[in-house]
Amino acid sequence: MSTWDAFLLNPADDVAVALRPIAAGEAVRVRGGHSVTARADIPMAHKLALRAIAAGASVRKYGEIIGQACTTIAAGDHVHVHNIVSRRARKSA
Amino acid sequence: MTDSFLGYRRANGAVGVRNHVLVLGINGLAGAATRRIGRAVRGTVTVATPYGRGQIGPDAEIHRRQLIGLAGNPNVAAALIVGVDRKTLDSVADAVAAGGTTVETVALDDVHEDALALTDVGIKKAAQLARSVSNQRREPCPVSALRVGVECGHSDATSGLAGNPLVGKVSDRVVDSGGAVMFGETLEWLGAEHLLARRGARPEVAKAITDAVARREAYPASLGIDLLGNNPGQENIRGGLSTIEEKSLGAVAKGGSRPIAAVLGHAEAPTGRGLHVMDGPGYSPESITGFVAAGAQLVFFTTGPGNSYCSAIAPTIKVSAHPQTPGRLPEQIDFDGSAILSGREEAEAVAARLHTHMLAVASGSATWGEILGEGDEVFVRLGPSL
Repeated sequence: MSTWDAFLLNPADDVAVALRPIAAGEAVRVRGGHSVTARADIPMAHKLALRAIAAGASVRKYGEIIGQACTTIAAGDHVHVHNIVSRRARKSA
Repeated sequence: MTDSFLGYRRANGAVGVRNHVLVLGINGLAGAATRRIGRAVRGTVTVATPYGRGQIGPDAEIHRRQLIGLAGNPNVAAALIVGVDRKTLDSVADAVAAGGTTVETVALDDVHEDALALTDVGIKKAAQLARSVSNQRREPCPVSALRVGVECGHSDATSGLAGNPLVGKVSDRVVDSGGAVMFGETLEWLGAEHLLARRGARPEVAKAITDAVARREAYPASLGIDLLGNNPGQENIRGGLSTIEEKSLGAVAKGGSRPIAAVLGHAEAPTGRGLHVMDGPGYSPESITGFVAAGAQLVFFTTGPGNSYCSAIAPTIKVSAHPQTPGRLPEQIDFDGSAILSGREEAEAVAARLHTHMLAVASGSATWGEILGEGDEVFVRLGPSL
């Protein structure tokens, strides 16, 4: 079985991807990145922050921008629709 | 030779991976009779459009292109085309026959609007076609004869991490063997269009890619509608995809890494080999019909949690790399790619197995969708009926 709990797709990424369901408080071993402590439950294949992200800052996965933080995100947070938002195809755009 | 399969050589040089008699209803008024004919004759595949009258301009053109393209798909050995008025029917049938497909027709006009008489004539004609095409035999054919459509539906984060890159590797192999590959869903290039544009074979291809995305992005905005809450869909969000950009970056991986030869319109056939992108809808049934009407004999369809939809005409190979989905849906998922994320097998080795599986399906091995009759074709409309 895998010795990793999550993996980093690109060195520029702010987030890693959970390889299994991760519980809040667990130490997460990240393939290609440093370990972090999960601050929330992370379902499999969901994202967790590897570092703090300021509100309004870009968020990267695959080495590319996938959206921007709509609140301050701490390392180990679950990163999903509650704290990041698309920058594209918005009616105000 | 590992890069060949057993296919049906057509008179026009194309190669089918199936030997269908297509019963094609070209007008909603003939839909019930079309389906009745198809049910009565074994070895037929039925496609009946619900539309066909009161369409004008680009809407009429795209409907006609889809009908002619589906009947002209190399998997169709012969087509019985069922219509209402003789003039429209002959116009479609002549275009299909010009492409080299054997065609028969029946019209409600010919039987004084008697749908049962239409059914009777249609069953006899379809039966004759079915007997005739049964004389054709498979023979070795090169992968360069394949056009493959690549689709993803009900994606989750495993699609972008493993399922789509896996199909992308097979897509590269098909392109390298001289075949053609198509992927579409323009909205799901959004956020990844700079990466696709960089792969445009010529500057005008790069521009066509970014223009197509800009048009698609501007459309909901022009209606005052926010894409947020529409795409990614609920099943995508449950699976861990947060934004359209994230979904797109995973989605385009199914198109592999080769240069993009051209941007096709919906249901527009590639004129040459290589990787093509089709400017079309993100709704999988419509998107797949676009590929099949453009001549795709095979479709790869990746999914995270599962998706049962298939083409009626092109065998549709379901691929999931989710750790649980292949085991949970053993009569839906044709290929289990979960070994990639678990680390049990290298991605290259899994891709080689998928390529072998593709050649087996091209040679006649059945997909789950074929066995269970999941296949359908869904038509794109571009405007209201008059």
